[in-house]
Amino acid sequence: MSDPSKQSRDDFPYRMSIPTRWGDNDMLGHVNNVLFYRYFEAVVVRFQMQEAGVDWINDRISPQAVETMCRFHRPLSFPETVEAGLKVERIGNSSVTFAVALFGEGHKTPAATGHFIHVFVDSETLKSRPIPAETRRAYEKFR
Amino acid sequence: MTQDPIETRDRYRHYLGIQTRWSDNDIYGHVNNVTYYSYFDTVVNCFLIAEGGLDIRDGGIIGVAVETMCRFRKPIAYPEAIEAGLRVGKLGNSSVRYEIGIFRAGEDEAAASGHFVHVFVDRDTNAPVPIPAPIREALERIKAEAPGNKGRSKR
Repeated sequence: MSDPSKQSRDDFPYRMSIPTRWGDNDMLGHVNNVLFYRYFEAVVVRFQMQEAGVDWINDRISPQAVETMCRFHRPLSFPETVEAGLKVERIGNSSVTFAVALFGEGHKTPAATGHFIHVFVDSETLKSRPIPAETRRAYEKFR
Repeated sequence: MTQDPIETRDRYRHYLGIQTRWSDNDIYGHVNNVTYYSYFDTVVNCFLIAEGGLDIRDGGIIGVAVETMCRFRKPIAYPEAIEAGLRVGKLGNSSVRYEIGIFRAGEDEAAASGHFVHVFVDRDTNAPVPIPAPIREALERIKAEAPGNKGRSKR
């Protein structure tokens, strides 16, 4: 894969705007590293609900986070609005890997890039289950 | 997905007890995945402050996160108290890779494990600087030691 820090917004077919908040900044005046994952989570969960038909409240089989990773290329800072981008990087039998990037205002390349892996789990047995067919079809459209 | 060996307590060199909080739990009643990284932040910075003399208020050198990662194996939940295990996997000139395990009370296998890479930079110029001696000495004391383990420094 090419250098993720050189990617552009166009590399990510699903995007959402996330306004930063005052409390996201730490004492160095930048968004704290932990909060980058809050933004990752926001774009992944919104995508899952709006595009992939996931209903965490009612579905017996639903995705759980098993691995996340982030590389920090540049700081983000309140009050800028972040644009989060997502694409489906890998579709397994029961797991899906999303590539995620966060773009700061006025920048063509990302402030951070990483991934978020969801595995579909039966909420009663806690065993992994195959990705439902409709959800899988939705993922194919965002590769 | 890569399958790494499950991390156990004996592989970490320093521990910090952390009390989970009500707001750490999400709607499933488990600690939310994002919150694990605040435990990472906490164990790393407490160690640097207490053992390496890092001055987060007035010091001219700060640690900047450049990469973090976590694998989630078993849920944890408020109100349990957890322990965060810490070791140094790789110690460079201006950067350090910490390896961290999150343990439930009485359990030997980590509920979650991952890493955190810090680069030390000049607070004003943001340019990387050599790790200050007191911090380096503290980090040397918690370097991974198991022979042949992948966390061991190759420098």
